[in-house]
Amino acid sequence: MWSTARTVAEGDLVIVWLTRDVIQPLVITSGKELNTKFGYYRHEDLIGVPYGSKIGSRNGKGFIHLLRPTPELWTLALPHRTQILYLADIAFVTSWLDIKPGSRVIEAGTGSGSFSHSTARTIGPTGHLWSYEFHETRASKAKEEFTRHGMSDTVTLTHRNVCKDGFTVTDTVDAVFLDLPAPWEAIPHAKTALRKDRITRICCFSPCMEQVQRTVTALNDAGFTEITMYESLIRPHQVETLDSLPSIRVANVQLKESEARREAKRLRQIASAHRDGLTSSSSGGGKRKRGDDTTPITDLQQPKAENSTLEVAEDRIPEKRMKTEQEENVEISNSQTPLSKAEDIVIAVDSITPNDSSSSESHQPINVSKAFPEVRGHTSYLTFAVLLPPNYIPSTTTSAAVTSTEATPEVDTTTS
Amino acid sequence: MDVGEGSSKNVTESSEIPTIQVGHTLLLRLPSNEIKTLRLEKDSSISLGKFGSFFSNELVGQPYGLSYNIVDKKLKVLPPKTLQEVEDTDATNELISDGQAVQPLKTDEIEKLKKSGVAAEEIIKMQIEQHANFSLKTEYSKEKYKKRKEAKFSKSFSVVVPTLFNVCEYWFNKDSSRLRDIRIDSLSQILNLASIRPGGRYLAVDDASGIVVAGILERLGGRGRLITICDVESPPAYPCVTHMNFKKETTALLSSLNWATADEEYTPIVPPSEPASGKYRSDAQKSRMNKRKMLNTALNKTREELFAGEFDGLIVASQYEPFEILEKLTAYLAGSASIVVHGPNVQIVTNLQARLREIPTYLAPAVSEPWLRRYQILPMRTHPMMNTSGSGGFILHTIKVYDDPKASSVVAHRLKVKKARVESDMSTTPTPSLQDSSEPPVVESKPVDIKVSSCEE
Repeated sequence: MWSTARTVAEGDLVIVWLTRDVIQPLVITSGKELNTKFGYYRHEDLIGVPYGSKIGSRNGKGFIHLLRPTPELWTLALPHRTQILYLADIAFVTSWLDIKPGSRVIEAGTGSGSFSHSTARTIGPTGHLWSYEFHETRASKAKEEFTRHGMSDTVTLTHRNVCKDGFTVTDTVDAVFLDLPAPWEAIPHAKTALRKDRITRICCFSPCMEQVQRTVTALNDAGFTEITMYESLIRPHQVETLDSLPSIRVANVQLKESEARREAKRLRQIASAHRDGLTSSSSGGGKRKRGDDTTPITDLQQPKAENSTLEVAEDRIPEKRMKTEQEENVEISNSQTPLSKAEDIVIAVDSITPNDSSSSESHQPINVSKAFPEVRGHTSYLTFAVLLPPNYIPSTTTSAAVTSTEATPEVDTTTS
Repeated sequence: MDVGEGSSKNVTESSEIPTIQVGHTLLLRLPSNEIKTLRLEKDSSISLGKFGSFFSNELVGQPYGLSYNIVDKKLKVLPPKTLQEVEDTDATNELISDGQAVQPLKTDEIEKLKKSGVAAEEIIKMQIEQHANFSLKTEYSKEKYKKRKEAKFSKSFSVVVPTLFNVCEYWFNKDSSRLRDIRIDSLSQILNLASIRPGGRYLAVDDASGIVVAGILERLGGRGRLITICDVESPPAYPCVTHMNFKKETTALLSSLNWATADEEYTPIVPPSEPASGKYRSDAQKSRMNKRKMLNTALNKTREELFAGEFDGLIVASQYEPFEILEKLTAYLAGSASIVVHGPNVQIVTNLQARLREIPTYLAPAVSEPWLRRYQILPMRTHPMMNTSGSGGFILHTIKVYDDPKASSVVAHRLKVKKARVESDMSTTPTPSLQDSSEPPVVESKPVDIKVSSCEE
């Protein structure tokens, strides 16, 4: 399929990784240049470089990573001709349909080739994929692409409306994948294409429940069994490193601090008003003077109120460690003097703040993750069914299967 | 444009049909929907408890995936079950009260009937006939009742096809913790993200009962290489692999080292494979020594192979610290190789992502969570299953790249240009800093990271 050599060669398809969101395919062609918002690069310079290399731009405007294409990277980088299939569905369908090296698979329609590339990789050179596309331009574009990607031996692409004209092979494939607007129209044809000497499987990919219901009926009528349906999605997570969560102890101290400051301000205002009243009523703005605070508080109610606030504060933080407790005691003992100054309180509270946060042990950064706020919530319903090998099954009146082949022999009980 | 038969001529002719063989490990689905696993032995009797017993030879040579009725220890293939349209009626459960005795047929009487050889369908018919309220039930309810009775009395089973899907589902339903929560959708994504293809060379650390090993071997299809690193002295038992019933050429691609023998600094202590005297004491000793010699040679070859590196991918599903595993094994990966780590706990995977994104060797590590929902598909009764699996674990995917510290980022470039501009604004003399190649870049490998964090916000 794609180059498996260690280094990039002329003519290779490489995946240029610019950022997580900007990933583009590039065919290495000497003489050409690659211009991106992360600098410009000469194709010659990329030849001989190992896959996976980080390449600095010629003008120092950034760098790119040169990656080896995989179907998964191709899905992220491919030119969209239609709505495409993504990893979750492709991977799940591959497993359910038991697609593995050597498998013979039918896909309709080809679309942008996302499923085709993944399947071609998985079935390998011993398997084969028959891909059908009813849109002529898309079919020829896909054909060119498959040829360029060295998949011509593994993939046969046919321009055809399979709902009307059926498939080009009979009794051949192990699995059928139908990504069509009306898969029920192609189901009888799919049955013809599936091999009859072993158990085979089918998947219909439809976004709407109404389509699923018609599909289920068609599958049942055609004799498919074990009909089941799934939805498969990927929830991408974003990982962040948090600088530890804020502590309520810090909030506690800050609140106390601001409370004390407010109280101090109130006291100053009262003191100032009191003094103004005592001296003269015309000293405007005098209440803001520092010197005012030196005036002893005479109002007897003030110290009382102050005490009670701090006692409450102390009660709120009983689990503080020894160190802070001691400081608290200092603070409290300061404030317990009924005649202490408002400014002292502020200082006392201030002094415990830095100590408090530095003594906190839970300062480990933590890594957290959550799902992205907006994610793909639905792609399609995956309706699966199996077709049992008719030669081994006794024909019954209930199964509409066209088992007109000789009256089913009772080989089952007589096999040695 | 290619019309017609396409290149079907290129396809190798019909590979042999996989059939059940003596020595295969089978998964049998019982009417109760339970799965019984057993190794198929020749000329023996297989008992399915109350669902009957049959001769093992009956299954030999049969294709996988059929259902059978057991009649006189012999098997009769059952026709496939099709969905039956259920007619909608006006019946409701309005007049049906719980706890009321409606079934005069007692358990011991049913047992007697069973012993006397009355067919399951007959017993169910009798039960329905004697059921006091059966006619009051809705058609849906009637069908459910019949199904429940069939699950109890019918003597039948089906052979589960050992696909990767079915084997993974069986193990996951049996004990998801033994699979480290690798559900089939998780496994499918892991295998695709690691881009397992026939002919590829892969490394794996599988403490998940071998489900990852089973997946890789299946997708290699007999071509390529797989080296696993384990924590036991002798090659580990990967029980999931047993259920796949692989051919010899498929499993031959697997070799295992352990965390000691995978250590380059370490010289494995192996018993001597030559007699000390230079002469074999007996033929038995000779063959024992030769066996040892072969094992030692194989071990050394596998070690050399690992240390030579250039593997195409690494899958980790381990109980061990994932960062350490990656630190140890990334060196053996080729450039652009995929690294996929699965874990049942988001914290482990998250912490790993946070550490890897600081290291330029790991390109854009991303964490995702597979999500799966199955539906009941019945005419007029389609809805998601009432009970479902809560988690398929978490997947981290990244790509190994070769860092180039000299490749400056676009941010570094902008800073440089800005700095140069500021300097030239301040002094009229041209600044040499812009051209000065000896000056180390201001920021290394940051733009991708910055981009990453900005798109994650």
